[in-house]
Amino acid sequence: MQPPAEHVHWMFATGFVVLGLCLLAEAIVGTEVWSRRRWRAYLWPGTLFLMGVLMWPVMTFFTNSTIHMLAHGTWAQVLMLAGATELALVRGKISSPWWRLTSAAAFLVSGISLLVHEQNGWFFQRSSFLHHLTGWVLVGAAAIPLGRCLRPRSIALGSAFGLAFVVVAVLLFCDRDLAPVFGHLSPVAGAPHR
Amino acid sequence: MRRVAVVALVALAFPANAWAHATLEHTWPSYRERVQTAPKTVRLDFDQGVKPLSNSIVVYTEGGRVVSGTARNGARLHDVVVTVRQLPKGPYTVRWHVISSDGHVVSGVFTFGVRYPAPPPTAAYGSSGPTATEHVVRWLYFLALALLIGGIGARLLVVRGPLPPRAERRFYLLTAIGAFATLEVGIAAFLLRAEDALQLPFGRFVYGDLAPIAGGTRFGVAFIAMTLGFALVSALLFLSWLTDRVVLLWPALVLGLGFASGLSLSGHSAADAGSSWKSELADWVHLSAACLWVGGLVQLAVVVLPLAPELRRAAFLRFSVFATVLVALLLAAGVYLSILRLPHLHDLWTTGYGHVLLVKLGLVAIALAWGGVHRLIAVPEVARGGGRLFARLPRSVLGESFAGMAVLLVAAVLVDSKPPVRPQTELPRSASTSATKTVVSCSAPCLRTEAGPWYHAASARRSSPPNSRNNSRR
Repeated sequence: MQPPAEHVHWMFATGFVVLGLCLLAEAIVGTEVWSRRRWRAYLWPGTLFLMGVLMWPVMTFFTNSTIHMLAHGTWAQVLMLAGATELALVRGKISSPWWRLTSAAAFLVSGISLLVHEQNGWFFQRSSFLHHLTGWVLVGAAAIPLGRCLRPRSIALGSAFGLAFVVVAVLLFCDRDLAPVFGHLSPVAGAPHR
Repeated sequence: MRRVAVVALVALAFPANAWAHATLEHTWPSYRERVQTAPKTVRLDFDQGVKPLSNSIVVYTEGGRVVSGTARNGARLHDVVVTVRQLPKGPYTVRWHVISSDGHVVSGVFTFGVRYPAPPPTAAYGSSGPTATEHVVRWLYFLALALLIGGIGARLLVVRGPLPPRAERRFYLLTAIGAFATLEVGIAAFLLRAEDALQLPFGRFVYGDLAPIAGGTRFGVAFIAMTLGFALVSALLFLSWLTDRVVLLWPALVLGLGFASGLSLSGHSAADAGSSWKSELADWVHLSAACLWVGGLVQLAVVVLPLAPELRRAAFLRFSVFATVLVALLLAAGVYLSILRLPHLHDLWTTGYGHVLLVKLGLVAIALAWGGVHRLIAVPEVARGGGRLFARLPRSVLGESFAGMAVLLVAAVLVDSKPPVRPQTELPRSASTSATKTVVSCSAPCLRTEAGPWYHAASARRSSPPNSRNNSRR
């Protein structure tokens, strides 16, 4: 009954696309316009929080190795934490812009988890390359929420924040042999995994 | 720039058939299978090609004797096969290690039985049983449950109305700590048990296959259910804080109490000889009452008494009634379980389990005496409207909660201890027919039961497998 690992990757990639597009839209039209309908303000933080909750089944059911279980557990927690903080900021339960550092920490911890749980070099195989790339993208993207603490109204930083999620989504869509993006490109590469 | 793009594309395309380390997909015999005919070989099937080592599959008898030969690839590179000698009736442990296509050694363990119930992998040959660390982790888990479930219970059943903002913040902080700790400590407990079953050094444990433990043991299934359940409880707790809707705490409380039953459904009350739905229910009532009592005391001492002066009188009197009911449930369930596990009074002073139970009873007596002083002295004074007592009451209530926490520590040790084996004639009929329960009642030398990792004298004298870390751990 367990879905294939690649399907789970793609489901979360879809979630990141939604997040990224919401953030890009907010950056383009401005927070005031975006928040005219109240539910829209909750959309991306709520999605982030929900993705954190949904990561728990991944953690508990994909237990073919300890390191994957721990990595998925870490992502579940940082996604929930970052989503919860952003929801609380929107709701007004907390107000300091420095709470945005939670998102920076979430990016950093997620990136480090990706890098630590990939033990092979960059060019060992597709997934190694993408794990390294995604890990470093996340580590680098941690600077964006940090910048948003200092310049919360910056359109450039808002767009970069949204783009970071879109890039992570594309990398997740690429991450498996049967991926919809850069899938099984060459017969030289051997038979598809599944 | 173009060069970087080309390199990236090539890396994405080649080699595409190796995407992660190997995952074990099937085994013959399968996990915990009870086979009627002794197998001639043991075969593992992976999701990708693997390279076997000479000792890739080692099959142990219950006594630790190796009955397998040299492992080799089977018909496909995905398969690893080893021949085994003629296996007599009994339980067997299979420990395996293969080199994955990414160069990592992946490892695992599973068990099967020949005309005999297979023990869970946590009781496989070579595993050493719970350590002092596991006792502490289990205690922390109980405390986390008490903070979470007891905190929410006290908020809904004792305080009821709105709290002042500072008290409300502290209530959510304490219960959030409980929720976080429940998840974290639960993961730590699972990994400690898995580490003991796999018996691998850390570098290889990180690539150890946890699937047989997660899916093939009561403990693992309880871990999955409780982790998912308490993640949901955490989400509800957060949403309650975010939206200022205390009503969301009701489903959190119901789910929390419901998923706490995972401990009762995977412990002695579910797996040992003589267990039934009544013992499982009693265990759950015992655990729930203890969590609500201790957690409620903490909320009273840390939140209500110091930060909600207008509510403390009503809350204290209400908690007094609430705690009386909880203690009655706690004692009734505890007495029932004690009689079930220790059918003879002399078991209390002649068995190790009885000794731990005596210590627990002593601490329970202290906690009850402390509560009794509150009931007999503080409650009438508060009911008369005497306010002078409230200056000292938080510390005294906190003291009672510490006594309750000490009881939980001994309870953690008790859960990991093994009740004395009841003679065959005393067992209910169902106990000797169930696969997991028969392990206790078998006449042959036994492995540990699933609920209480413990050694029979015969199994304690066995030699350790080649990679066992028992000696260094103990």
